Amino acid sequence: MSQKYYEFFCPVKVIAGKAALEHIPYELTGLAAKRPMIITDKGVRAAGLLDPVIAACEESGLDIVSIYDDVPPDSSTSVVRDIAGIYRQEKCDAIIAVGGGSAIDTGKAVNILVSEGGDDIAKYSGAGVLKHPLKPFFVVPTTAGTGSEVTAVAVITDEKKGVKLAFTSSFLLPNAAIIDPRMTLTLPPHITAATAMDAMTHATEAFTCMAKNPLSDAYATAAVKKVSQSLLDVMDNPKDTNGRLELAQASTMAGIAFSNSMVGLVHSLGHATGAICHLPHGLCMSLYLPYVLEFNLESIREPLGELLLYLEGPEVYSATPASRRAEASISAIRKLRDQLYKRCQLPRTLKETGKVLESQLDHIAEQALDDGSIMFNPKEVTLEDAREILRRAWA
Amino acid sequence: MLLKRIQPMVFQTRRLYVDIMFQVMGRALQAVSEVDETVQNDARALPEGLLFEMMVMPDGPRLIVEHTGNGHFHYHGESAPRPIDLSIQFKHIAHAFLVLSFQEKTAEAFAHDRMLVDGDLSYAVRMTRVLNRLEAFILPKLIAKRAVKEYPDSLHLPEKLISAARIYLKVATNFVETARA
Ligand SMILES: [Fe+2]
Repeated sequence: MSQKYYEFFCPVKVIAGKAALEHIPYELTGLAAKRPMIITDKGVRAAGLLDPVIAACEESGLDIVSIYDDVPPDSSTSVVRDIAGIYRQEKCDAIIAVGGGSAIDTGKAVNILVSEGGDDIAKYSGAGVLKHPLKPFFVVPTTAGTGSEVTAVAVITDEKKGVKLAFTSSFLLPNAAIIDPRMTLTLPPHITAATAMDAMTHATEAFTCMAKNPLSDAYATAAVKKVSQSLLDVMDNPKDTNGRLELAQASTMAGIAFSNSMVGLVHSLGHATGAICHLPHGLCMSLYLPYVLEFNLESIREPLGELLLYLEGPEVYSATPASRRAEASISAIRKLRDQLYKRCQLPRTLKETGKVLESQLDHIAEQALDDGSIMFNPKEVTLEDAREILRRAWA
Repeated sequence: MLLKRIQPMVFQTRRLYVDIMFQVMGRALQAVSEVDETVQNDARALPEGLLFEMMVMPDGPRLIVEHTGNGHFHYHGESAPRPIDLSIQFKHIAHAFLVLSFQEKTAEAFAHDRMLVDGDLSYAVRMTRVLNRLEAFILPKLIAKRAVKEYPDSLHLPEKLISAARIYLKVATNFVETARA
């Protein structure tokens, strides 16, 4: 490509590793924040994941002023408004989102309201509406997959209109992402597997889609390597702290990669399937990844072949002729999926999910064609193409 | 010194070229939407009365079309009868020139952060596919291959329409050559 141009941006301070949570008070003080609010969900609280966060702050004499623990899996405009109300009432001055994609997106949206004012989050939807930095905002991810801690997007459902509102602004990025292996240690196996495959898909699509660039490539390959090396170890030994940290870092790195170079058709299909059949996002990613790579194969032969080094390591890479590496990468991903199926029955086909009807495939195909991420897929996708991929992914 | 004298000419030519290409595309968009089923199928899902704009920031040339229903577009020139619903905005005239002189694919321009979408992203996705198809129509196959991700196998259009558009294109190509230098 002779007209190559790219942009890369990630101003999030990453605080990662052992006892990372204990850095929160110092980092908050550095931003002159004294009255933080925690935004989380019931599952996180029940799993006891808030305890180390609260303890870390209290030990440093920093009180968590308010805890909102009722974020639903699909956060809505009214939830955002309610939390903003509590924030104002309690005179909070910073937000700590603890959780997965939904709690983090909610934190981002609440931060818009409490910083910009008003009760109607819908009026800030779209791209580039925000013009000023927001209040201090920290994210503590409790899953290793979404990468939301480093993306400049939030999606919130407007339940009155029944539509999903997207908010895009670099001001949504948190000041810091705190990656502490304690937060993912108790993730159940099927969530560990699905979310890690989400990260794997972020990295693979970032590396093979149209907006790939040298900086996002570096993050993407490193993420693929970490997931390949650690996922099965963690599946076999869930309390493996080092392995957990590797997956959490991989998720953040893959998030940095794809937020700068976008994703492609795996996500278009996944978003449509999630909306129509209510399947978890990571599961959809794992399911569609090899089928989409096969579809894109001739457009991505070179970068996909390069990924073999990170998927299988130097021995396999050097023993595989250059002309076969792209296919070998797809096989490696299939092999990983088979291993995950063996360990936690993570579905490999739509039929294996038991939640998709063959009659829904057309609807999924149509909706996928309207998804924004299809724009960055390296190969043009027609409705018939999408149907064909779904037929292959069926069984 | 020489550069100082030549630059304004290049700027002017580039602007003129983008202006003309927007007009060519606007008319072609209307024409193609009347005969091509693929375009109609993509456009049909857009709300009736949707106003689509492609423009150069901050206040440069623009092309405005309206979806009048059933997959048909009506070209409005540079002025809109109502507020715009979906806008694709080039950050700079240089970026519009890259795309409109077919040196950069529309999807690539998105990937390279050359332009922004204001409005519903799913509509923007559809319009991008329509624009890809349009480029395949009005361009000779060789150039079109550079401009779109894939050149469609089957293009059925009255020869008259194609040649008309290509006449515009010929005029336009002269501008490219001048402006590229
Ligand atoms: Fe994802």
